[in-house]
Amino acid sequence: MSATMMDVSARLASAMPTPAPKAHIQYRRNSKLDQWICFWSIPVFYVFFGLVFVCLTRTMPPPSANVSQAGAISFFQSVAGVTNTHIGFALLVFSLGFYAMNNALVVVQMKRMEGVSQAMAYAYIVVLSLGALPGCMFIAIVYSVAAMRPDRDPQLVSMLYDMGMLSYVGSLGCFVAQYVVFVIAVLLDKRRIFPKWIAYFSIWVIFTEILAGPIFAFKTGPFAWDGAISFWLGTVVWVFWQFSFTICLYKAIKRQPLDEVVPA
Amino acid sequence: MRTKDQTISLWLAPVTAAVLLLAFCLFRGFLPPLSPAMSAEAVASFYKENAGWIRLSMVIMNLWGIMLIPFYMVIVIQMKRMATPSHVFAYAYLGAASGGGALLALANLFWLMAAFRPDRGAELIQLLNDLGWMTFTAPIGMIVAQNVTLALAILMDARPQPVFPRWVAHYSIVTGILIAPGALAMVYQSGPFAWDGLFAFWIRNSAFALYIAVMFFVVRAAIRQQAVEEGVPA
Amino acid sequence: MTSTVHTAPPAGAATAVVSERAEPKSARHLPGEASMWAFVIGDLVIFSVYFTIYMLYRIWNHQMFLESQQQLSQTLGLLNTLLLLTSSWFVALSVQLARAGEIARAARLIVGGSACGLAFVVVKAFEWSDKVGQDFVFTTNDFFMFYYMLTGVHLLHVFLGLGILLFMWRELGTAAQPRVAMLETGATYWHMVDLLWLIIYALVYLMR
Repeated sequence: MSATMMDVSARLASAMPTPAPKAHIQYRRNSKLDQWICFWSIPVFYVFFGLVFVCLTRTMPPPSANVSQAGAISFFQSVAGVTNTHIGFALLVFSLGFYAMNNALVVVQMKRMEGVSQAMAYAYIVVLSLGALPGCMFIAIVYSVAAMRPDRDPQLVSMLYDMGMLSYVGSLGCFVAQYVVFVIAVLLDKRRIFPKWIAYFSIWVIFTEILAGPIFAFKTGPFAWDGAISFWLGTVVWVFWQFSFTICLYKAIKRQPLDEVVPA
Repeated sequence: MRTKDQTISLWLAPVTAAVLLLAFCLFRGFLPPLSPAMSAEAVASFYKENAGWIRLSMVIMNLWGIMLIPFYMVIVIQMKRMATPSHVFAYAYLGAASGGGALLALANLFWLMAAFRPDRGAELIQLLNDLGWMTFTAPIGMIVAQNVTLALAILMDARPQPVFPRWVAHYSIVTGILIAPGALAMVYQSGPFAWDGLFAFWIRNSAFALYIAVMFFVVRAAIRQQAVEEGVPA
Repeated sequence: MTSTVHTAPPAGAATAVVSERAEPKSARHLPGEASMWAFVIGDLVIFSVYFTIYMLYRIWNHQMFLESQQQLSQTLGLLNTLLLLTSSWFVALSVQLARAGEIARAARLIVGGSACGLAFVVVKAFEWSDKVGQDFVFTTNDFFMFYYMLTGVHLLHVFLGLGILLFMWRELGTAAQPRVAMLETGATYWHMVDLLWLIIYALVYLMR
């Protein structure tokens, strides 16, 4: 990484025996600077994510599913008091687009796989681009609307309260598809761009999506949107997976030979 | 041959821009933009009086709004021609563009829903109107990510003759900065950052429109350059 | 399709290759892939959280749980247990035979194991439809919520296991030299599925 930093600031071009690249951001020929820029956007994004959902908007851990209309209203009042919902979700919509960099990295690595068609890479980016709206953007929009008029009809506020959490915790299919595509690609890949164990671990997160299905039937208990199994265990497993996945991605980029030509 | 479909997609951009501009002007709720401060009754009566125009303009937008995607994909293809270390920025651009399209489609539907039963309860119509405006104005992250990834790719393009000139990178960043305040519509209900305000509405939408117009010429030049390089008539 | 310059395969691949080809005569460190063992351990940890939550709810609602438990068919529960145990036994025998080089018999035993697994699924489907017919559904009460959830998640594991058994059968049928490590890996997964069922059977069906 330090070598890459040097490239950006210093003009090494004239020192190189090969014809100097004329890029505005100088990088050593065949470096992986663009991938590293995208990679390091990942922890930045997750810091934003944690800040927004945990601290500012207080939607993680989720508010109770078992509230009356008054309860829903008081939730929005409690987080809107310091304009947290507003600022929180404004930050989220600003930063969510950068998740595309994360997905693009995985696509580039999946395209390096051998024995796997590029359909898997394209499927991966498509399902995650699709999932961004119902799974993440929707709650931001709906909760901002819910919080903007304190004198709105309680029935409507309660409905918006439900809409937000149900969409956020209950968006399942896009992510199941993401994991399934990933598992298939990793297990079929002869080059072992990603290690086998991350494919096995991905089975767990597929199950956490399945076990989030019951949130549409329960308002209390372990399968409510704030339940011990549907939310808490699911989130713990997911965080563990995401951490492992990011490490595998890091290693995959690091091990990528500099002179490799990835199919377009 | 490989530039013909690109040229067609390119020309779809001004066509789409014209159609969207028409829809924009017909909407009645854009010029001037509806204020978040309007009461439920005022919103409901607005939809009642203008139901016809709203439906017409929104159906037009619904039909044609996504047609910018082929244009964006031409940009993706051109990004792949750049001599960047990998195509990761092109794919990030693609992902971001897809996310953005879904948002426009949804906002559009909310407004159409609001106009469907004008004698629905006023609060319900106001809610649908709020949802439409919030969806249209606030989630700017996709466009910003598109512009940033394009800028990074251009700045890392090591071709002797870059696919897009360097100034496009800076212009993309500036446009992104001008569009970003749209997110503040989630925070403010009045003033320049509300969804009818100077920054979140006028500057945001003008900057976006201007960007499409400018990119039309930039992409056109890039396609021509590609045709020359590959030895085919454009 | 790819115009890649092949450099040395990444370290992960090297480990996989070593575990697939190595047939040490004396000390075998670990049957099957280490990744599968990591998965098994993790899966057991996750299931133990389910079981803990189940036990807590059971303690809080002991009477209701006992009454609802009476509604379960002990016969079908026992039948399913025997089916899975038999199935595991077949699969274990199959791996043993494959190690000894008796490929044809090993393949037949995999088929037998799969048949038992399929029978398990059929019995489970029958058991569930019977319960649903008696109006005991997922949302009836907490006991049935856990009943359907635990047996349901387990059933999904069984489906996955049947797929793995299929791959094992193909390996025995087509490969000139079946990779024993791959068979062991699949068998490890299947034994885990069996173990999970035993715990579920004990906790949900048997325990008073």
